[in-house]
Amino acid sequence: MSAEEKQEAPDAMNLEERILELCKQNPDGIADSTLQKELPNVDTRQRVSAVNRLLSSGKIDLVKTSNELVYRLKDPGVVSKIKGADNQERLVYQIIEQSGNKGIWTRDIRLKSNLQLTQLNKILKNLESRKLIKAVKSVGAARKKAYMLFNLTPDPSVTGGTWYSDQEFESEFVEVLNQQCFKFLQQKVESVSALQLDPLLKRNRSFVSPEEVWKFITELRISKVDLSVDDINTILNTLIYDGKVEMTISAGAGTSSSDSSSKLYRAIQPLTQPTGLMRSPCGVCPVFNQCYEGGAISPSTCIYMKEWMDY
Amino acid sequence: MSSLQLKLVSLLVQEHFGDVVEKICTHLLKNGSNNFRSVVSTVKEKPEQVKKALCVLIQHNIVKYGLNKRGMVEYTADVEKALLLVRYPRYIYSAKTLYGDIGELIVEEVLHHGEILMSNVVEKVKVRLKEAMEGNQLEPSAIKDKFIDLVNTHFLQRLPSWSAEDDEESKVIPLIPHLSVSDADLYRIPETAGVTGKRKRPLNDGGRSSKRARSSSVGSEPDQEVPLDDGIYWKVNFERFHRYFRDQDIISAITQRIDKSAGDVVATMLRMSELTTDFMARETKPLSFHDIARQMPKKLENRQLEQYMKLLLDDQTMIVKKYGDAGGGMYEIDLEQASRVICTANIESVVQERFGSKSFRIFKTLLKKKYLEQKQIENFALIPAKEAKELVYQMFAENFITVQEIPRTPDHAPSRTFYLFTVELGQVTFMLAERCYKSLINLMTRRHFESAENKRLIEKEQKVEAITASMQGSGAEPAQLEEIEKTMTQLEKEQLQKYKGRIAKLEQSELQTDKTVFVLNSFILQEAEGRL
Ligand code: SF4
Repeated sequence: MSAEEKQEAPDAMNLEERILELCKQNPDGIADSTLQKELPNVDTRQRVSAVNRLLSSGKIDLVKTSNELVYRLKDPGVVSKIKGADNQERLVYQIIEQSGNKGIWTRDIRLKSNLQLTQLNKILKNLESRKLIKAVKSVGAARKKAYMLFNLTPDPSVTGGTWYSDQEFESEFVEVLNQQCFKFLQQKVESVSALQLDPLLKRNRSFVSPEEVWKFITELRISKVDLSVDDINTILNTLIYDGKVEMTISAGAGTSSSDSSSKLYRAIQPLTQPTGLMRSPCGVCPVFNQCYEGGAISPSTCIYMKEWMDY
Repeated sequence: MSSLQLKLVSLLVQEHFGDVVEKICTHLLKNGSNNFRSVVSTVKEKPEQVKKALCVLIQHNIVKYGLNKRGMVEYTADVEKALLLVRYPRYIYSAKTLYGDIGELIVEEVLHHGEILMSNVVEKVKVRLKEAMEGNQLEPSAIKDKFIDLVNTHFLQRLPSWSAEDDEESKVIPLIPHLSVSDADLYRIPETAGVTGKRKRPLNDGGRSSKRARSSSVGSEPDQEVPLDDGIYWKVNFERFHRYFRDQDIISAITQRIDKSAGDVVATMLRMSELTTDFMARETKPLSFHDIARQMPKKLENRQLEQYMKLLLDDQTMIVKKYGDAGGGMYEIDLEQASRVICTANIESVVQERFGSKSFRIFKTLLKKKYLEQKQIENFALIPAKEAKELVYQMFAENFITVQEIPRTPDHAPSRTFYLFTVELGQVTFMLAERCYKSLINLMTRRHFESAENKRLIEKEQKVEAITASMQGSGAEPAQLEEIEKTMTQLEKEQLQKYKGRIAKLEQSELQTDKTVFVLNSFILQEAEGRL
């Protein structure tokens, strides 16, 4: 997020107070044009949203006078009463602000602010209704709400990033991508080996850049969300951990435009067949540790053995 | 030595040599070195029996004898050597692959006897071949030639023997015989060997043959005729076979990863290193490009070979390394790395088969990244937290992965502790070797069980076969033979058929499982060597 965005938030708080202040000075109401003049550094968008927040929280009223619309303090008495609460509001706001785009849980706000839970809840609700903060469900703990400033994009660790939707990990989606990426790499290897090339050329041509994979996946239209090349890299990495793909850093012959990703991927064969142990029933046996001759589970009476021998 | 190893050895020794030998072998393994008298008194067998049993074990290289500090003869059993019994079928099978049926029979005979004269082997193989080929005449020298081939390629090896001077020198008979063979003679066929002629044993030679039962197995009467090659015994050179197994593993890994030609290149390099590089060496001696090119069985163009060398060097297995630039480039094979890579691949296949591909991904992530927290595992492997936790736990429970606790505070409170997961390759290798031993025990136990179950049938079949054979010999009518045949009912025949199928499958699986043992143990040995 940009620096400007960060700046705006505290301004929003100040701005509201300035506006309230101005309203107080002009008990008869203040026109929008006057407001604009009094707040030269504030752009229209910010001003309008601040005013809207004040309107919706019932601090000011929009009143029609003879020739124009003016904003007027709703009930001076009430506002001054809230005044005391404002400091607490400010405190809570700051605590939430500090937590950045990771958000902060109610419990932690309470610990930091020393406020009563009921009181805090009221403040949170208030801030939320004024669209200063928002509550985000986090993937780690679906029940708990994390608060952060309204205009922030939650950190991937909170929402889970591309692979999450509604705090649910999209396991199948990831697996489908994993399979499709592999298929693409495999097809590449196959098409190249059909070409009767020199061994070295054959290998080099079977490498594929993440951009190519990305293009393939995008054209498949299997994804609801827009995937980035980085997302594809993440998927390709899982294929490396699957032992199905190897990655190399290309020497950078300047083929692709200019960007830093000079990684290349290639489908590979496993080094060995499943090892001998795993071809016996005991290798995959779920009760291996409980099995001994003379016991309830024993090689002589073993049904896995029997099935396997007569297969 | 683990208890599973002990159990397996006991099964193996019993199967190969019978109950008494098993008893003594187990006793020696459990109690360490022991002298003859204490063996006799603890196993409660007749001294004669114990003597014979020890002989068998010595001949098969399982027991060694020596003098202890007080000058008494002691016997020591070696568990590693005893475990080789399980590999016998593989030695025999490889001999067949390399040297055909005759090679197979030769190695089988040598293994069966432990140590044996060449003339005896030739004789025995001749008889067995005659049976198998039913009269088809075989060139008599063919067996001898194959034997010599096996010696020349070091698959067979000469045993140390009495040297002539020792005999003359002292009239006092030493407590233990002084046996020796020079390096030059290890693989040299003496002129007399294999000549099937006999000569009179000199009369003054009596002391020798009765001293050690080993030589008395040939002829115990002092004036009996003895073969010309008496005293020159041969045994199987296990190390040479192991080297062959290992080389095959490396070649097939490279073939899988790159292609057949790359496998050929590596095979050539390994073959060239056979004589120059020690079995346990960490890498082969460097080989020059030109030498490799010259030695390739199927000529590759230089340009092609160059490319293959590059492919091999680039390969992520890193088995082939560049040593220098002399002679068109010097290359070597990193045997230690090969052993690690192949062992890892085998372990990975266990994880894949046992826990499934998601767990495999987690396992491999850990192998690549070394230490990871649960959260990191989830992120790298892209597996949702709950599932990943379960999979990690499964592997942790079965000791495939370990956890390291790093407390942030001195009180080791779990909430303030990092839990780092990792794969301890050495530990997993050990653990899996143990699993293999247990599986082998199970397979053998089942095999014995099946045989016991079908004992009556097996005996019946043998009887029928014996009668048929003898009747055929005496020229019986076909009708009579058929009559005999019929004593086995259809059901019995089917049952037997099934039994034989089961046994074959179990034996095959034993052999396969031992292949895993071999790979794992090679890595363990290689690692131990590296730490010295
Ligand atoms: S014998 Fe049967 S029960 Fe025992 S470990 Fe093997 S497969 Fe499992």
